[in-house]
Amino acid sequence: MIMEVDVAVIGSGPAGLTAAIHAHKNGAGKVLLLEREEELGGILKQCIHNGFGLEQFKQDFTGPEYAERLIKEVERTGVQCFLNTLVTDLSSDRVITALSPEHGALEIKAKSIVLAMGCRERTRPSVGIPGTRPAGIFTAGVAQRFVNIDGYLPGKKVGILGSGDIGLIMARRLTLEGARVIGVYEIMSYPGGLKRNIVQCLNDFDIPLRLSHTVTEIRGKERVEGVVVSKVDGNLHPVEGTEKLIECDTLLLSVGLIPENELSEKAGIELSAATKGPITTEVMETSVPGIFTCGNVSTVFDLVDYVAQTGAVAGTFAARYASAKVSGSKQSVDVVAGENVRLLFPQRYGFQDDLVLFVRAAEPVEKPVTIEVAPPGSRINRPYARPNEMLRVKIPKGKLAEVKQPIRVSIREK
Amino acid sequence: MAVEKRHFVCVVCPIGCEIDVVHDGSKIISMKGNKCEKSEEFVRQELIEPMRTLTTTVRIQGSRWPVIPVRTDKAVPKRLFPRIMKRLRRIKLQAPVNMLDVVVKDIVGTGANIIATRTMPHE
Repeated sequence: MIMEVDVAVIGSGPAGLTAAIHAHKNGAGKVLLLEREEELGGILKQCIHNGFGLEQFKQDFTGPEYAERLIKEVERTGVQCFLNTLVTDLSSDRVITALSPEHGALEIKAKSIVLAMGCRERTRPSVGIPGTRPAGIFTAGVAQRFVNIDGYLPGKKVGILGSGDIGLIMARRLTLEGARVIGVYEIMSYPGGLKRNIVQCLNDFDIPLRLSHTVTEIRGKERVEGVVVSKVDGNLHPVEGTEKLIECDTLLLSVGLIPENELSEKAGIELSAATKGPITTEVMETSVPGIFTCGNVSTVFDLVDYVAQTGAVAGTFAARYASAKVSGSKQSVDVVAGENVRLLFPQRYGFQDDLVLFVRAAEPVEKPVTIEVAPPGSRINRPYARPNEMLRVKIPKGKLAEVKQPIRVSIREK
Repeated sequence: MAVEKRHFVCVVCPIGCEIDVVHDGSKIISMKGNKCEKSEEFVRQELIEPMRTLTTTVRIQGSRWPVIPVRTDKAVPKRLFPRIMKRLRRIKLQAPVNMLDVVVKDIVGTGANIIATRTMPHE
């Protein structure tokens, strides 16, 4: 089937749902939402814990509640949703190839496209753990799906490598379901997840967090029988003589997320080495005119509220592009990382809107900091900067009109 | 009661303020580190009885998935989590269920209801 639409959105997690709603609100006539799973909502469906939407809705939702709120809004708009639909190709002239049992092979010509494919988890090969290859090794998100959607308990005695938020959430979840979580081992000297999750997922249940520790061997033939945990030095190398065997039947990996950009690459979209997502302007447009991006496919965000905000911007500007047929940013300047900035988003400024910057610190600073954005020379103070908590700052459009050189963002002790 | 010092991390929002409290039993003498008044209430409650929202799943029949996510409709004493989980293990719902439907009233005498956090159609 060949279709023509105004705005096509790929992925129906919080970013895609919000983008579809905002594309509709901003006058896009025909909006099509493509989802590879059997239901809308993306990963929120398995995030059954609360703490979502505190910033955006000033209410404490669980993941499924947050998703259902957006899904109901989408249903009121007349946005067309194709489920069980897998996008297999994307071209730079905005043609989507997709497959679905219901609609067959699809060729969708879109005036503008929003990428909202989200991210995927890093796995054992991406961190390279020596040892055997028994059953019982799961990424934290896969274990979360087994417990919260499929109703299975993946193990009874569990070690967790990495202190990302999903790992912390799963430590609590598995404990509630009757498993014993022996410990969470984090190679860095600071936790990967939000502090509140350390408190309410680990401390509340007396689960130990071992910083500067990693798993150096997996043991077991058919099933995991134990893991060897070692201390690491300042260069993250295991320290000999510190090895300790932890008996367990399951190892969860919470070792990071990577934006899922195979389709972006097919369309020839330029990616950032730092974020692993498309290089994007403040209106969420990628290097290919008319293709926009939002949520965790762009860069991995800490909060769903941030994901939804980028979705709103992407949907709005995708609708404008579809009606006006003009690429927003004829001219743009780079936004570059300065002192103590590991990554930032967006990476370009195209003079169309306020610059809302998401910045991740390279090193923790537990003292008041100044975020310097120069030009125009704005300085914004924050009580601290932590690599596990993105900083968000807004520079009004009016202040940026005269900017000609790259905008440098730095985090300095105040 | 003696005057004591305690350290808390507020879990009301993602900022996670680190709060140092000087208290006498449940009476706060001084506190510093909190950025809003919500954490003052949080600390007051932590000193009396730590309260949390419980989120989990219960079994369901007649739907696409075998479990449905649920939560308490208000915070309950943290120490009662094991009892609530034990009680919920005995429950099996029948689809359809709507989001925010009450699944169990007044769970283990806390005054809180267990409510569904998604709609689960009959299939």
